[in-house]
Amino acid sequence: MPVRFLKNASELADVSMESPLPVQVANAKPVPADTLLVATLTVDTTARDLLGSTAAELPTLDNCGQYRRLVWFYFRTGADSTTYRVLARATDHNGAPLGTGWQELATDTLPGGANSWGRIEIPASSDGYYDQYRIEVQRTAGSSNYNLISKIVGVR
Amino acid sequence: MSAERITRREMLKRLIVAPVGAAALATLPVREGSAAVLQPYYEPYFVAVLWEGRTRCDSLWRSLKGDVVAILPTVQGTTPYDRLYWTGYALGSAPVNVNMRVWARAVDHNGVPLGNGWRAIGQATIQTPPQRWFRVEIPEGHWDEYRLEVRSATPRLVYSRVIASQGYWKE
Repeated sequence: MPVRFLKNASELADVSMESPLPVQVANAKPVPADTLLVATLTVDTTARDLLGSTAAELPTLDNCGQYRRLVWFYFRTGADSTTYRVLARATDHNGAPLGTGWQELATDTLPGGANSWGRIEIPASSDGYYDQYRIEVQRTAGSSNYNLISKIVGVR
Repeated sequence: MSAERITRREMLKRLIVAPVGAAALATLPVREGSAAVLQPYYEPYFVAVLWEGRTRCDSLWRSLKGDVVAILPTVQGTTPYDRLYWTGYALGSAPVNVNMRVWARAVDHNGVPLGNGWRAIGQATIQTPPQRWFRVEIPEGHWDEYRLEVRSATPRLVYSRVIASQGYWKE
């Protein structure tokens, strides 16, 4: 005896592969990831964000409120000591920052030597959900500028 | 599949005849695995099989796909996955003693790696009695490409399956 169920409010349908029972998936949510940025920066002694900007109020990434975490992948061609800073802030409904400046989430020496890969999670622990991020790097020693190729993935 | 159109009046009559069945079918509790299979509009699976097959291990570092070309990835398109699992089974009567290492890298919008080489995720030796299963978990996720390599002083066949999971959490 076929099993029938109410479909589209006014249609009784037999259960089949094409017409499965309505179900509610509980407690599970897939977490796709989006590529937010791919950029190459020449790292020098000036603090610049990954897009090359020195304007401290400009975000590197905007509209990131849906992402629990950002993953920053990079490949650096030089080994000179480099400092990175991760800044974040929230915006209002119009996209304007709630205030000036940033909250500093992390600052440290960029790991890795010449021609090496790296991976940094933002934030390192807990969840993000900030609207804007600014990621700055600055060479603090040595004399050779080098290329930093970055990719940032947002994880929901 | 068969369906019929009925009026609201007819529908109400039928619901009165079988109210229990109609009410119960509205939201049946199901296991998540069944839900993923049955729901036609469900998002892509949060667990995917990336590769499966067999590898002839010898003294060279080989990708699970068998090649010794270090620039070639074993699996690609792994950005959405926060974790990979490699489950394997080694044939042969001798104890298993297989070296393995895992590499990863990111690519740009054109699929070109950001730089040369790979990032070393980890290296280990798989040692088990003969004909046993083993499992390797690769927790560093969201890289675009991975290369999984094996080698063994004693040539042997390894059957593998690499799956990846999109993390999900309880709401």
